Amino acid sequence: MNDDDTPMSCLPHRKIRRLIRGARTPKPMNAFEVPEVDYDQYTNRQLAAVPLAVLGLAILILVGWWAMTGAPVTPGIDFTGGSELTVVTSMSQSEVGASFDTEPISIQQAAESAEAETVGPNEDQYVVRFQSATTDSLREQAQNADMNLLSSASTAPSFGGDNQTTAVIGVLVAFLGMSLLVFGLFRTFVPSIAVVVSAFSDIIIPLAAMNLLNIKLSLGTVAALLMLIGYSVDSDILLNNHILRRSGSFYESTYRAMQTGVTMTITSLSAMAVMAVVATFFNIELMASIGIVLVIGLATDLMNTYMLNLSLLRWYQFEGVSR
Amino acid sequence: MSGLRDNWRIVLLVVLALASVVTLFVPGATVATGNNATASNATSATEAGVTNLQYGIQLDGGSRIRAPIVGVTAENVDLNSTSEVESIENGLVDRFGLDAIDVAARPPTSPAESGTVEVFTRNVTQAQLATALQEQGYDVSESDVRNGVTEDTRAEMVRVIERKLSLSALSGANVQSAQSATGQNYIVIEATGRDIDELRSIVDERGVVRVYTLTPAESGNYSRDQVLTQQDFETIGNVRQREDGGYGVSVTLQDSQAQMFQDHMRQNGFDQQTFCNYDRENPNQSSGRTQSDSARCLITTLNGDVVFAGGVNRGLAVQFADETFVNDPTFSMTTQTRQEARDIELSLKAGAPLPAPLDFENAQTTSLEPALADQFKINSLITGIVAVLAVSIVVYLRYGDPRVAVPMIVTALSEVLLLLGFVSLIQFPINLSHIAGFIAVIGTGADDLIIIADEILQREGVATGRVFQNRFRKAFWVIGAAAATTIIAMSPLTVLGLGDLSGFAIITIVGVLIGVLITRPAYGDILRKLVLDQGDSE
Repeated sequence: MNDDDTPMSCLPHRKIRRLIRGARTPKPMNAFEVPEVDYDQYTNRQLAAVPLAVLGLAILILVGWWAMTGAPVTPGIDFTGGSELTVVTSMSQSEVGASFDTEPISIQQAAESAEAETVGPNEDQYVVRFQSATTDSLREQAQNADMNLLSSASTAPSFGGDNQTTAVIGVLVAFLGMSLLVFGLFRTFVPSIAVVVSAFSDIIIPLAAMNLLNIKLSLGTVAALLMLIGYSVDSDILLNNHILRRSGSFYESTYRAMQTGVTMTITSLSAMAVMAVVATFFNIELMASIGIVLVIGLATDLMNTYMLNLSLLRWYQFEGVSR
Repeated sequence: MSGLRDNWRIVLLVVLALASVVTLFVPGATVATGNNATASNATSATEAGVTNLQYGIQLDGGSRIRAPIVGVTAENVDLNSTSEVESIENGLVDRFGLDAIDVAARPPTSPAESGTVEVFTRNVTQAQLATALQEQGYDVSESDVRNGVTEDTRAEMVRVIERKLSLSALSGANVQSAQSATGQNYIVIEATGRDIDELRSIVDERGVVRVYTLTPAESGNYSRDQVLTQQDFETIGNVRQREDGGYGVSVTLQDSQAQMFQDHMRQNGFDQQTFCNYDRENPNQSSGRTQSDSARCLITTLNGDVVFAGGVNRGLAVQFADETFVNDPTFSMTTQTRQEARDIELSLKAGAPLPAPLDFENAQTTSLEPALADQFKINSLITGIVAVLAVSIVVYLRYGDPRVAVPMIVTALSEVLLLLGFVSLIQFPINLSHIAGFIAVIGTGADDLIIIADEILQREGVATGRVFQNRFRKAFWVIGAAAATTIIAMSPLTVLGLGDLSGFAIITIVGVLIGVLITRPAYGDILRKLVLDQGDSE
């Protein structure tokens, strides 16, 4: 209670400053500092051009992919139907493939298998995927071929189609809900639409990148896209909040927002990058795909927030409002 | 006193963290309802691990089947009386050559609703059912007929499957009815620690048990009369191996059925010892059997297949003859294999057959060996720890000052601890997707703590409590808005029935809520204390 009303003496104040300075300007040896970008040098058009060009390219890739393959992103077996077996065997990758009547669509060897308890000496762990959704016969074939079956999963095509519709509905609902919330929070058109456009781009660019990196759409990547909506909006809201609702010049506010926002995004990005690398190494596909998509998405978000969103805000502050 | 009051957020966090440790590590703490324990529906005492955490099939091994139910349903059928129900059912059975259990007509349960007619087979299309009902004089158009079954049937499916699973000693089995966004209903069956084949075998077949008598008819043929269904039994014994090598299940009839059964048996010549030469391969070729008065069989079928065919032994025949059977209506069914006996036992104990078959052709299955699950458990734990380390390093590099960074990391971890305590308390089974959710929570948690730290430390100025209050509130506007968007973005997943993803979404949402309501405010207090104490000490 009384803490609130106690005026601070000069001495502790200095100490606090030191603490603050310590927090803000860490030793250069082991620290990173968010660089102060000289936004003055660039026009709004120049700033917005880069992210918009990337977004345009991404849309082009998705449309082209759609025209070529029939789907903007290649759906994985979660959505097309199919089966997946995890086996341990001393056979080689091609021998594993030849052991089945139906040809697998992919065989993936786990990297760390040598250390796992499930894998004996001279044995490897493989994840084998099939288009067919009947695991019964596949399981039987694997066991007959002397493979140690660790897991099996199957999704019927009808189930996969259902999943696909559901996932699209989920992403649309989430995006719409987020948009409404953002408009509700800021109640002005330009700043709100800036957030929404950034978030849209944050989803589209990773989708296009998935095509280029040969990552198929799975339940995990859908989760990552939804997670991106949540993550990407954080830094946009922070930027808008600092510029629109705080005192101080535009560039001061921007720099403050960037200091916090970039740190935030870099922190999440490093967590997700580590998750992607480690999970890939361990062959935990769900976590790996969530990680990869989020890494791309968060990197995209850095660009979109501090170029696209920022240019729209600057236009709004200096030109849009006065008109 | 005032210290406690001013720092109540920190106190709350510490108390909850301790409570989480208790729910996580003290055996039985999740079942005992302490002060913090809310609706804990923990029942199953699982094998004692280090923690009280429940693992799902991905981290513990096990199987899951998600399958739609076979059937078509006509709605808005104007049927009211039980006699109508019977005539519709009989009409459909005759028309399509169905079994009686494949048809269900239900009168409305309340005046606001209307009756439904369901057919549980692939062989009847929506149009065929509509036409059949129209011909019976009901005003049913094709648009009234849809794929799938009624809610009552789904609930009955869940009940019967649950019962069968619990009877078969599949521990940790969980059955529920779910709906996808496209309106497709399906049944989700999850059993930890079990093979998919094992699980399939339990729900593969409907488990229809029927008992018939086979008696010589006048024309030299045999007449087959159904005398009992599985609803007629009172108690079912366990499978026992008999002296002759076969397997037997001792069954006791309900009193209400015993008299009828006894009368039927007496009338059909089972009041003396009978011999049975039932030819399983060619049941319709009666010529191959001994033609004698004593050639009478009692037959038990499971899902239409004969699993027991035998005569009535002297002891039982005497009971029928002197009508003492009703006093102790017990007899034994014998089979050649243990599996058959076990199947009969299980189906009879389930009390009712599955009301409809599951559509395995359109199902989704997952099965994981415990060994692989263990591997996932350890590897995902390592992944989580490494992610936490990455966050810690970045935060430390950014702030340089351990007095800011360390509480931040500790607070972010306490968020995970509270979340673990929560899932352990409600005995929520953890899967890989949940661990991804935990990592996502660490990410958003760290983000928000950075916002708080920057807001409070960034701008120089009078560091009074009031200023802190003010900055804290400003930081919270952003955090609250960010949390709200995350929750909105994730909420479709919780209801959309996308399997693994609903767990991911639930964990993320609960984690964000714990963060915004408990841990992140506490971190604000920690920072405030840190900076103000600095002032007091000099």
